[in-house]
Amino acid sequence: MDLSQLQDALASKSYDEVAGICDELMLQIASMGVSFQEEWPYTIHLIGHLYDSDLNSARFLWKSIPSGIKESRPDLVAAWKIGQCLWNRDYAGVYAAIRGFDWNPEAHGLVAAFQEKYTERVFQLLVSAYSTISVADAAQFLGMSEDDVTNYALQHGWTFDSGSRMLTVTKPKIVTEQKLDPSKLQRLTEYVFQLEH
Amino acid sequence: MDTVEALTAHIQGLSGNFEEIAHLHPLLKLSEELLRMQASRLAPFLDLLDPAKHSLGYLYLLEAYSSGPITREQASALLISFVGFINSCSAEQIRLAPDKFISVCKRLKDQVLQHKVPIQGVAPLRTAVRKLQISSEHLTTLHSEFLLLCLLSKCYKAGLNILDDDIFEVDQPRDLFLYCYYGGMIYIGLKRFPKALECLHNVVTAPMSAINAISIEAYKKYILVSLIHLGQVPPFPKYTSATAQRNLKNYAQVLGEEAKVVMEQRVGGDTVLNDVFGLSPSVMYFNIGRKAGFHNAIEELVWFAANFGPVLGA
Repeated sequence: MDLSQLQDALASKSYDEVAGICDELMLQIASMGVSFQEEWPYTIHLIGHLYDSDLNSARFLWKSIPSGIKESRPDLVAAWKIGQCLWNRDYAGVYAAIRGFDWNPEAHGLVAAFQEKYTERVFQLLVSAYSTISVADAAQFLGMSEDDVTNYALQHGWTFDSGSRMLTVTKPKIVTEQKLDPSKLQRLTEYVFQLEH
Repeated sequence: MDTVEALTAHIQGLSGNFEEIAHLHPLLKLSEELLRMQASRLAPFLDLLDPAKHSLGYLYLLEAYSSGPITREQASALLISFVGFINSCSAEQIRLAPDKFISVCKRLKDQVLQHKVPIQGVAPLRTAVRKLQISSEHLTTLHSEFLLLCLLSKCYKAGLNILDDDIFEVDQPRDLFLYCYYGGMIYIGLKRFPKALECLHNVVTAPMSAINAISIEAYKKYILVSLIHLGQVPPFPKYTSATAQRNLKNYAQVLGEEAKVVMEQRVGGDTVLNDVFGLSPSVMYFNIGRKAGFHNAIEELVWFAANFGPVLGA
């Protein structure tokens, strides 16, 4: 099986393309009539979908994997555990699932990148949902120790109150682009003038 | 043409450019009978031809060969030749004989389904659709076959590329019904309910002189999806055909009312219907059906959702 395109993507860390490449390659190889299930890198494929936050595709992929392969590949089961935590919105469980398995070198880069991306996503969620949050809760959401989470939050501009162990959220200012500039207004006026006369 | 050998020689000679192909085409049409009679002998002649250069001739031979009886050993080789042909054929040449191309692709689909490997046909049929279409706004019979394979192999995303094209030209009305119905199912599978509603809406409001099974099923799903997405079932728009308005209401009335009752009973509407459209009917489902005193239609819908196409003889 020619998986060089996939390996190139992994090597160049373009993880967002991994799922798409895997899907396309799978269709092409299947059309050759080759029975690919034994050697197919399902773990990478699955985590690629999770990286894209495409839980539906991850679910369908899991459903289509033959049960023999599901039982014989612990890395696949571990990857699906992450998917299950994501589906059940078990934020802390995701980190536990990632750390609870010793990933092989191929998958390691992808999993680490996924963890980073996921942490950022949850952080953005917290920013939009909370105005103050206790350090313990934040630590749980972000899967870090309390000290780490405090540093992380401070780096992103939050303030920390050591007395009550609470973090105050600073929402980034939303910059609205000035859409109306004079030259466009002038052009618009000219068009309308032309149309009306 | 007297013999297949002579015909093959002609194909090889006359596939250079457009005028030659125009010459070749009538010859091929005349030789259809001959090819059909010699169907089982044609395999070695196929090897002599190049599917890329001699696409039209190859198509005729391949179609005749596959219309004859195929043994099990030949089947996998045949599949490979179908796939190879579709991938390498020249679009201009096969558009001269669209019916033959469509029947070849349909045979590919049948073989793939017979051997229970629908995923094998997804990529080839996608290529076939793009080659047969005159433009991306043109709907062919192959569109619905392709979507059917996507559904059966659960590769819903693969169908999105084709589904996202707007259609302005249709060959056969039946194609449109099936295409929009399967398209609606794919969107449901991907949980893109607004687009699913759009597709199913097209089936329900398409002009029809007589009621057909596709629109009945589509209407049932339309009701369920609009309940999930909008919380209510919209009335028929003015441009729905009279046939549809009269008949669909009867078929689906009970389902509509009972489904509403079920949803209001807060049995977790979303997860219930997740199970339906996630194609794995769960026990909870049947319990709900029984609770609403309405086992049959929901069971039928679930069974149908799990089996999609074959019921319609597609």
